[in-house]
Amino acid sequence: MNLVKLCGLLAIAASVAACDEGLVGVKDDKTVDRGFDAKDLSQLKAGIWVDPNGCDHWIIDDGVEGYLSQRLDKYGKPVCSGVAPPNTAIGPFKAGSNFEDPI
Amino acid sequence: MGIFDTVRKSMAVAGIAAIAASSVAGAALAQNTIYGERYIPTIWVDPDGCEHWVMDDGVEGFMTPHVTRDGIPVCRRGNTCGVVSSDQLFETDKAVISAAGVRRLTDFFRSTQATSFVIAGHTDSRASDEYNIALSQRRADAVARVARQAGVRIADVRAYGERLPVASNKTAAGQAKNRRVEIICLR
Repeated sequence: MNLVKLCGLLAIAASVAACDEGLVGVKDDKTVDRGFDAKDLSQLKAGIWVDPNGCDHWIIDDGVEGYLSQRLDKYGKPVCSGVAPPNTAIGPFKAGSNFEDPI
Repeated sequence: MGIFDTVRKSMAVAGIAAIAASSVAGAALAQNTIYGERYIPTIWVDPDGCEHWVMDDGVEGFMTPHVTRDGIPVCRRGNTCGVVSSDQLFETDKAVISAAGVRRLTDFFRSTQATSFVIAGHTDSRASDEYNIALSQRRADAVARVARQAGVRIADVRAYGERLPVASNKTAAGQAKNRRVEIICLR
């Protein structure tokens, strides 16, 4: 979470709410991503992260935010497609934001 | 995370209060005040067509699958790419696939682009639940064997027996519909 720390420091130093949303106060609308990579959250681009058991999760690196959610089949069971070895991530999961992510 | 701790505390003060009433059938209404922050998610649809709850809270993002209270994902489309009628592959109570059936399945698996497949066997509701689970397992196994021989990867083989009908078991037509092997294509 180095990036997050850096982001927070920058916001305090400039004493503005520069880090995506206001660090002061509560962001009421949780359904949009505001700031320089603004978008509705429905437009996120996902890749697949394979967990240590070999099962798939949708992974999204959207600039400062990161999302991870389980891939389930229609019966509600984990999807373990074997698309990649355990502990790897594949696909365009960093494609949704132009935010320069040094990690 | 010292800076963030401070920010969090000031945010908590702005928390909203809501009155929640919980009722239990036959019992008196109990009212208590819940202090919390309003978190209303939006929906993100994954590449399979299934919904996830998603929230962006400034620098943090949160996401979790949208499932019913029964644990079944809410999807706008599925990735079931084939449903084979059991009557076309098997004789009653049998799990041996005919030569013609093997050819048809082999063609299907070779021509379908997927990373891997999930095979799920289902039956109608005649005979016992236990018997039907075993029968659907043997049939799903038989289909999976053909798939592996065709050179594709099988992610899982399941037996649901009579427990997930797609039609009424009160009619012969409904029963025939329920006798099936579902193939999920994972892309």
